[in-house]
Amino acid sequence: MNIKIKLTIIAMTLFLGGAAVRASFTADAKKEVKTVGVLQFMTHPALHQIYTGIEAGLAEEGYHVGDNLKIDFKNAQGDQSNLKTMATRFDSENVDLAVGIATPAAISLANTLQKQPVIFAGSTNPIGSKLVTNYEHPVGNVTGVLDQAPLKAQISMMKEMLPNLKTVGVLYTSSDDSATTEALKFKKLAKQNGLKTKVASVASSNDINQTVLQLISNHQVDALFIPTDNSIAGAMNTVIKNTDAAKIPVFPTVDTMVKQGGLAAEAINQKEIGIKTGRMMGRILSGKTVKSQSVEFMQEGHLVINQEQADRLGISVPKELSQRARFIH
Amino acid sequence: MGVIISAIGQGIIWSLLGIGLYLSFRILNFPDMTVEGTFPLGAAVSVTLVTQGVNPVLAIIIAGIIGGVAGLITGLLYTKGQIPILLAGILTMTATYSINLRIMGQANKSLLGVKTLFNNQFVNWLPDNFPTIGVGIVIVIVIVASVAWFLQTELGQAFIATGDNQTMAWALGINSDAMVTLGLIISNALIALGGALVAQNNGFADVNMGIGIIVVALASIIIGEVVYTDKLTLTERLITVVIGSILYRFVLVAVLAFGFDANDLNLFSAVILGLALLLPKFRHSLNIAKLFPQKGAK
Repeated sequence: MNIKIKLTIIAMTLFLGGAAVRASFTADAKKEVKTVGVLQFMTHPALHQIYTGIEAGLAEEGYHVGDNLKIDFKNAQGDQSNLKTMATRFDSENVDLAVGIATPAAISLANTLQKQPVIFAGSTNPIGSKLVTNYEHPVGNVTGVLDQAPLKAQISMMKEMLPNLKTVGVLYTSSDDSATTEALKFKKLAKQNGLKTKVASVASSNDINQTVLQLISNHQVDALFIPTDNSIAGAMNTVIKNTDAAKIPVFPTVDTMVKQGGLAAEAINQKEIGIKTGRMMGRILSGKTVKSQSVEFMQEGHLVINQEQADRLGISVPKELSQRARFIH
Repeated sequence: MGVIISAIGQGIIWSLLGIGLYLSFRILNFPDMTVEGTFPLGAAVSVTLVTQGVNPVLAIIIAGIIGGVAGLITGLLYTKGQIPILLAGILTMTATYSINLRIMGQANKSLLGVKTLFNNQFVNWLPDNFPTIGVGIVIVIVIVASVAWFLQTELGQAFIATGDNQTMAWALGINSDAMVTLGLIISNALIALGGALVAQNNGFADVNMGIGIIVVALASIIIGEVVYTDKLTLTERLITVVIGSILYRFVLVAVLAFGFDANDLNLFSAVILGLALLLPKFRHSLNIAKLFPQKGAK
């Protein structure tokens, strides 16, 4: 065989042999400063808010960055193969705890880290993605905070806002697991509340324009519901351009999407998810076991209304709603 | 340290992708875009089967067979349908996206808590990251040996001849259409196998995991070629693809270690690949070859 190839293979084998021997002899040294790995799935305002919340939550539990806490923050930018590399990095620097923001990041951490606790922040269907088997008593080394939107409250708010509401269009990205889960849950709840739904999914943001047009044509729907969907959040302008032209109100689940032209939402505050996560992390860093930390939910939403949009669509906001709402524009 | 070991492991299991593309890209001279569809196809099939209790080894074999079917479709579109190869590949790739969603029934399917090739009792005793390397090496040796054996058979020689010159091969009585189709089947089967392996290693399959895959595959081939410029046998070439794949992972780790934003990773990958492609040109114009006379070159 070619000598260069031979040398390369020999060098690599020697290196791996050495590493394997070393790996079986090293012991962990105790650290004063706790190290936490945070793996964020992609750049997105909502996900970033979770991160800000995590820092705040940790501070509440007495962990301050630069003081007794080191955060290794990695952003995979939506790239699956980065997730594994970054998760391995956390493993090799032996973090005390790792957090995955958004489901794919959490799955990657849970797969890579066997010993350290893994916490998910902002996962919609952790049972479906096998992060946990039940919410009350996490079995393995994984627990976390759910980001399911309060859909029941959302539906009753929509009915209050639009007394003549009969059919709701639902738009989501089929490749987004959380969005799919939420959209289907909405469909079920809407039926229980006497509403008809027309569900449409898009494969990528390129299809949004046409799908929205199709969904709202001939006034088949009285309103549009959009679940927590990253792709559609990024293309909100495309949606609103079409719905405004047809005078159809849009009800998202996230306050940033209300700001971008949605009418109203019973939104969960992403930062609060982060804070809950941060507190949970703090408790585990202080010695609590993962088993003792049940998966946490966001109990209720905060009503946000876009007044400008209401005026544009000619909708008068009922008094009961406007009293408890936060207005944004 | 752990990161370097992990990079070697990742490089080994990702190298199947490079070996698969080597057959279509280097031997047949085809830029086969099908790979961006067959890679996640292999992942989807293997993850779905494993979650349903199928043996992980059997799951990656089935994934390989189904990947071969995707290659067959591209081959038929190209040879029988006379559709340009680039377009034929893109058609199959586009179709597999929907098929992958159907197979998994969701966009992202997880393997948490399920036994895979990388967390069974045979490899669990190994230190961190070594299961990946161990399983990867065994599979890569089997694949490289089979491909090398295949290329030395009469059929394999006819296949190589077709890649060299289709008209000539045809004149020699070789059915070049059949050879091209065969090449695309084997190549895509290997790539689906790679996807299946990567998915079991990562612990999940995702419909979007094929995006940009062709650059990763090309990078392993071309880095291998740039580092080993000597005249090599085909078997040695296949080994350099594996080494190229490992070196490419090193580069990515280095880029991340220097604190560059992961946002820029794709840019770096493209720049590295571009430089590697341009290097032979520089070598020629700078006459580097004269400074370092190559042993064994005729």
